[in-house]
Amino acid sequence: MKKNQLLAKWLNNDLSEDELAAFEASPDFEKYKKIKFYTDHLEVDDLDEDTMLSNILKQKKAVPPKVVPLYKNWLLRIAAVFVLALGITFVYNTLAQQTETADFGEKTAFSLPDNSEVVLNSGSEINYKKWNWNDNRHLELKGEAYFRVSKGRRFEVETNLGKVSVLGTQFNVKSRKNRFDVICYEGRVKVNYNDNQILLTRGQGISFENGKQLKMTITSLKPEWMENQICFFKDNIKTILDEIERQYNIEIELNAKNTTSLFTGKLPAENLDTALQIISTTYNLRIQKVSKNKIIIDEK
Amino acid sequence: MPNNPKSNTCDEIIFSSFFKTHIKALRNFLFYKFGDTQKAEDAAQEAFLKLWQNCSSVPLEKAKSYLYTIANNNSLNEIAHQKVVLRYEQNFSGLDKTNENPEYILEEKQFQSKLLKAIEKLNEKQRTAFLMHRIDGKKYSEIALELNISVKAVEKRIHLALLSLRKEIDL
Repeated sequence: MKKNQLLAKWLNNDLSEDELAAFEASPDFEKYKKIKFYTDHLEVDDLDEDTMLSNILKQKKAVPPKVVPLYKNWLLRIAAVFVLALGITFVYNTLAQQTETADFGEKTAFSLPDNSEVVLNSGSEINYKKWNWNDNRHLELKGEAYFRVSKGRRFEVETNLGKVSVLGTQFNVKSRKNRFDVICYEGRVKVNYNDNQILLTRGQGISFENGKQLKMTITSLKPEWMENQICFFKDNIKTILDEIERQYNIEIELNAKNTTSLFTGKLPAENLDTALQIISTTYNLRIQKVSKNKIIIDEK
Repeated sequence: MPNNPKSNTCDEIIFSSFFKTHIKALRNFLFYKFGDTQKAEDAAQEAFLKLWQNCSSVPLEKAKSYLYTIANNNSLNEIAHQKVVLRYEQNFSGLDKTNENPEYILEEKQFQSKLLKAIEKLNEKQRTAFLMHRIDGKKYSEIALELNISVKAVEKRIHLALLSLRKEIDL
């Protein structure tokens, strides 16, 4: 046995007879015996067990009986899901990008959060964000649209060709292929195209095509396309036919070489036959209606 | 078995008898550790209260170790230790009634008070194990369980306690 456990063994009466005899013979034995004897008679103050127990048993009632977790209540669960869905929808609506489109043969009118009005011409699209709209009136346009902007902070229309910024006014922006037209109907409009910055006032318009700049003067109060007319200003036949395809939602095949002559004038947007008639006369072309949605144009 | 509604720890009668069996030893244990009866009592009550409040998740078999775990972890750890002041049982003189030699009586009295002083001077670990054995009459194995140490470690602490007591008394 290890020496360092001897005293503990003895105190616990675990020593064998031999070990005990040897220990009893040691000079310190009497002292240890006394320690053992006296410590057998030590005590600690009594305590009032009953009071403590009743205190404890009482305490439990003070604790809320049972917590029913919120998620165990079906009604609340459904409500929570509902609220969550509502919240997500709200956040999505305000933060996510809003897209308004007008398909071929259609026009779409809508209002922005500041009550500015936008009318999209056929085959056009606008992207914007509702979030913080009043401080950041910025939208992206593909195609053509007419704007009536409420007074407020700078209003910006960005197209892949150029940028238009205004304060409060009415204007039309057209960005098709390489051609970028801006017409101002009221107030003032600032147009950025490449490095150029042009200021338009009421009744002025500007057109850029492949870097070339054309000035326009307008007498109408609204874009013609909003009154179901297609207006062209020095446009080539390709551009005209593209616009007709968009307005009437049809397909046109052009088998003619002469596409350099420029056309200025108006075509009806509701009467395809008349529109085609005008083109055929102007460019001296033969028009064949293959099917309801397909037209082939040949040289005469 | 967490959340077992059948856990009998929640039965008031069973809990009460469990309380009566263990409260004194728990209080004493905390007293040996910290040397203040009032604080030891508060801490013991706290531990039992926690057991009572969580009775549904603590089965009776585990209740004791639950108590001692709480008591060991108790914030009393931060309280400054006080001297463990003990006393002998009432009506106990420790004297041989047949020997009325005044010299003998004086010597015994001196020994008794030296012993108490020596116990006060023991370090906390040795004193706690030693007194759990001497006052509460616990087995080494029980002490080991409650202190969360091995029986060997208990024996070592008690051995060292005895050694230093003897040394202290001889001074």
